[in-house]
Amino acid sequence: MLDTAPAFRFVEERLGIDVRTLDAATELESLGVDSLSLLELVFEIEEKFGVRLDERTAPPRNCGELAALVERLTAARA
Amino acid sequence: MTPRRVAVTGIGLVTPLGTTAPATFAALLEGRSGVRLHAPPEAPGALAVPAGVCDGFEAAATLGRVKAATLDRYSQLGVVAGLEAWRDAGLAEAPQEDREGWGVAWGTGVGGVLTYERSYRDLHLAGRERLAPLTVVQAMNNACAGYLAIALGLGGACTTYSVACASSAIAIGDAFRRIRAGTSPVMLAGGSEAPLAYGVIRAWLALQILAPGDAQSAPHACKPFQRERAGLVLAEGGAALVLEDWSRAQARGARIYAELAGVGESCDHANLVRPSVAGQARAMRAALADARLTPAELDYVNAHATGTHDGDTVEIAALRSALGERAAAVAVSATKSALGHPLGAAGALEAALTTLALHHDAIPPTLGEATQLDPECAGVAHVAGKALRGARPRAALSNSFAFGGSNAVLALRTRA
Repeated sequence: MLDTAPAFRFVEERLGIDVRTLDAATELESLGVDSLSLLELVFEIEEKFGVRLDERTAPPRNCGELAALVERLTAARA
Repeated sequence: MTPRRVAVTGIGLVTPLGTTAPATFAALLEGRSGVRLHAPPEAPGALAVPAGVCDGFEAAATLGRVKAATLDRYSQLGVVAGLEAWRDAGLAEAPQEDREGWGVAWGTGVGGVLTYERSYRDLHLAGRERLAPLTVVQAMNNACAGYLAIALGLGGACTTYSVACASSAIAIGDAFRRIRAGTSPVMLAGGSEAPLAYGVIRAWLALQILAPGDAQSAPHACKPFQRERAGLVLAEGGAALVLEDWSRAQARGARIYAELAGVGESCDHANLVRPSVAGQARAMRAALADARLTPAELDYVNAHATGTHDGDTVEIAALRSALGERAAAVAVSATKSALGHPLGAAGALEAALTTLALHHDAIPPTLGEATQLDPECAGVAHVAGKALRGARPRAALSNSFAFGGSNAVLALRTRA
């Protein structure tokens, strides 16, 4: 089962969006994250978790994909 | 054929005196100062200078946190001012097919210098090798204009001028000419600046041109035309005007604040920093001629006057040279006494204030006592200490003079 809490906390911290309004299907675009701010968001996730994403990694489109990405990075770091 | 006239139909301001145009103008007329002692938060050592800081400004409140985080502060200030001007002009519902031919003309001196400074700190001090991916697009001098065009769907020319302290006056001149030539009937023109980076403040200190001050004296550190003037005060801010073809504005029933009637430009071609009476007078004469105004019709000048000894003296001499006998009767004030000097944004900010002065029949004052005026700056009707209401000004000039010797003067006429 995907743990969405760390990613959602990140979204809340960075974007100022109440986690209670988020679910896995919430599109990042609907939160105002366009292609430019997504670049910035992914960079911050990499910095926070101290890892670099493979350049071929597709950027997350919704909160579920973001949570999966964060989970993968957390696991990679452990 | 009568040349097209240009109407000012919208104004937006974010300044040290307020986060909207009405708030700024009201505070200015009350004689309040937006200058305070400012310590740049990232300074490695103790440093505090008088500065005009937009304390009440929260970009996220207008742009949302996500968008605000992708913009340098100079863009945040400019975009919020631009959006206010657009709403003020009543163009929010204008059809997209019209907007495809409208444009943006912007000005900034140091652009995204806060982003550069943060990046250099990360690289040189923190030893990091990676920068945030948006560093380039945040720092670039045309980011603000580009974002405004995106936000408002403007598909015409999108230009940015970086001509030091004349940047946004020159941008307004560009917009003015496009409307007058019939190229573009609506232009958003203005400028923005966020220069309060540690390195920028140090650089201006090195030039020995900043006014000193402590916590108590900072609000009145900038003293244009006064005997004890001791330099300029750096400031941040954003200023935008919606300029529109006069007939179009009238046809849609827009509120017209004033007419932008002419633009005059010149170069001192003498010295990069020392101003020239002849160069400045040439720009003023050119603006009057372009507007088909005679000195006798001129009632107000919003002076460039930054509060430096030579700059203020030269400007008064240039006014006397350009206006002749009329100079003694022309009201002159320096709004930098209350707002400081937002470099590339100053031209648009002062053009907006001049427009509001004509519209409201209220000329904002140069802060400070009339008794403190320098006799070397005599020969014009200084509006000192207190706003001048009820003078019914017919036409005005807004002066902008830049390091590098570039001068730009805008001529405005009361709506007739």
